Amino acid sequence: MLRKKTCVAMLLAGGQGSRLGILTKNVAKPAVPYGGKYRIIDFPLSNCTNSGIDTVGVLTQYQPLELNAYIGSGAPWDLDISNGGVFVLPPYQKGKSGEWYRGTANAIYQNIAFIQQYNPDYVLILSGDHIYKMDYNAMLNFHIRHGADATIAVREVPWDEASRFGIMNTDSEDRIIEFEEKPKKPKSNKASMGVYIFTWEKLYKYLTEDEADKSSSNDFGKNIIPNMLRDKQVLVAYDFNGYWKDVGTIESLWEANMDLLENPMPIDMHDKKWRIFAKNPGMPPHYIAKGATVADTLITEGCEVYGNVNHSILFAGVIIEEGANVESSVIMPGSVIRRGAVVRRSIVAENATVGAGAIIGEEEGNIAVIGQGVTVPAGVSVPAGQQVDEAYTF
Amino acid sequence: MKDVMGLIYTGENDARLRELTITRAIAAMPVAGRYRVIDFLVSSLVNSGIKNIGVITQKNYHSLMDHLGSGKEWDLHGKHDGLHILPPFLTRENVGLYPGLLDALRSNSNFLIRSKQETLVLSNSGIIYNAKIDELVRFYKDTGADITLLYTPDPSMRRDEYGTYISVAENGDVTDMEVEPTHPTCPNCYMQVLVIKRELLRDLVDKAVSHGLHSLDRDILLQMIRNKTAKVNAYEYKGKAWQIDSVQSFFRFNMEVLDSKLRKGLFRDDMPVYTKVRDEMPAYYGDSATVVNSLVADGCQVEGRVENSVLFRGVKIAAGAFVKNCIIMQDGQVHEGAYIENCILDKQAIIKRNARLIGPEAYPIVIGKDVII
Repeated sequence: MLRKKTCVAMLLAGGQGSRLGILTKNVAKPAVPYGGKYRIIDFPLSNCTNSGIDTVGVLTQYQPLELNAYIGSGAPWDLDISNGGVFVLPPYQKGKSGEWYRGTANAIYQNIAFIQQYNPDYVLILSGDHIYKMDYNAMLNFHIRHGADATIAVREVPWDEASRFGIMNTDSEDRIIEFEEKPKKPKSNKASMGVYIFTWEKLYKYLTEDEADKSSSNDFGKNIIPNMLRDKQVLVAYDFNGYWKDVGTIESLWEANMDLLENPMPIDMHDKKWRIFAKNPGMPPHYIAKGATVADTLITEGCEVYGNVNHSILFAGVIIEEGANVESSVIMPGSVIRRGAVVRRSIVAENATVGAGAIIGEEEGNIAVIGQGVTVPAGVSVPAGQQVDEAYTF
Repeated sequence: MKDVMGLIYTGENDARLRELTITRAIAAMPVAGRYRVIDFLVSSLVNSGIKNIGVITQKNYHSLMDHLGSGKEWDLHGKHDGLHILPPFLTRENVGLYPGLLDALRSNSNFLIRSKQETLVLSNSGIIYNAKIDELVRFYKDTGADITLLYTPDPSMRRDEYGTYISVAENGDVTDMEVEPTHPTCPNCYMQVLVIKRELLRDLVDKAVSHGLHSLDRDILLQMIRNKTAKVNAYEYKGKAWQIDSVQSFFRFNMEVLDSKLRKGLFRDDMPVYTKVRDEMPAYYGDSATVVNSLVADGCQVEGRVENSVLFRGVKIAAGAFVKNCIIMQDGQVHEGAYIENCILDKQAIIKRNARLIGPEAYPIVIGKDVII
């Protein structure tokens, strides 16, 4: 018998993230590296730990191998505890049936048994799509104070972009009166962040009803939230004003990385009270050689820099050889940029090699991407916006 | 290696490290930007498959305990065996400070009795190495020795007036030993790492301590070799080892890690060195940063000029500051316009605006923990 938990978090990590192109060919989106030493999932997991939520289910489905290995026992986030911790929850066979997760709501529905082990009062629903630091405990207190059935974290977005989001129309007391998915003429600019807290009893009821409705697409935004509003349940909007960045596309992932080079940094990564935890590769400090230049750049452990790096982010174990020029780029773990190569406005995925004198990306235009493990031959050019995987012919 | 255990003694003399060892044992000395001396020893043992490791602490051991914790970073937190920190305690025959290694071993004989492994690797903590201990143990077993010592012929390990030196025959047998000679004449430095049967060690320790003896090297090993009462042989460590026994040798080690070849020999992909993780973000270099031949850890913020230096985690070098041939430990700061050369800044030391501090290369200036200049 497991002890009761006030709040259990469920992290939806099953999506492919197809808009990240070749970066998610072999890994699920939450496992995509970010910010020099993190992966996207480090942010929601660290937020959980920092918020005092110690029981987290991670729902996986697409390319889960790397994500599973990364999460491991949960030790980096202090989630390797005996009463609670982090659990990877793939879909599984049940009696005669068994199926993939059909939608966000269905994924939670299929894990009702997991949640009920902890007999929680509340369930926090998260996604692995954003870079942000958020106190879920403050949101939970808000939920309790408002006697809400569901609380949806919202963020004010520029009015001209509001029609791209799920928009919450609220009254003066933060109560949600209407939810509009991508409205043509938005009445509010409060966009849903995809972070929900439900009173478990209520969510259980709506998940069960939604499952019985064969016409439903089993989605929180499309079905569960509208159904609760229809039934006049108490739904409230929780305003979040901090840094919040979608990293769902190549461009936005690149931008989110570059944000860390802003002065002051829009997301405070030095805050000792709210650290972002990550699995440590166990490498020595990085080395900057004589003749190297580094400016406006983040560099982590295990790197060796002999060339020139400007306005870029180097992940663990990256090697920049003599005379190589790296500008406005993100170089992921274990990659090597050989002598005289030029890399501009690019993302180089893990363990890739850019051959001597090769030219990747351009000063302007879209972000070029070199896929995981790809070797770019010496001297070739890869234009802006090009994605290069093993099948690419130079 | 299932039947091999490790035991690390951290009580060596640290007077020559001056302020640096006021609050910590040599084993807990911060080195190479993010490590402590003991990380190399524990990682060597762990990478060689040893899962039961005792660490005998002497004085100033708070920092060491804090660093080692449950042993999680070294995967030593399992249900069976794992990491055991063995602080000194008051018993009938022991009042806290051990007069010598033998007394320390005697005092912790319970740990030796309770352990299940038949073979024991004993190491001091004043020497940094990354050795394949499993190869040492294999040599010990294959040669049927009673005791096998680890040694290096590296002349940089020789010291006048202390240390233990050995002559080794072609078949590995130790033919001569000198303990704390004024000028060593034996060609090899014994690295204070040996392999022995656990029961034999217990037996030797009991006999020696009850006869009022304290030194393992002088009172046991030397006698065995001279009187040929046991088969003592030695195995050569082919890698580079560093003795951390003075401010100078501490400084030199950190400077030598800047050499790519030496660094790659110490930090090998197949033998990673584990340490306590601090979860700092990557180091940030500003527009005005100039960095030459330096090792920089995560969490640093560099805006100024840094040459031939080692920056530990969370160090800040302001624009217009110049740091040359320095070791700056965790969370140290050098403010605008300051110039420092041949300095060792202990944790959280701060060099304020426009300060100038130039130490001689052979005798670096040590700025104590939390000191502001």
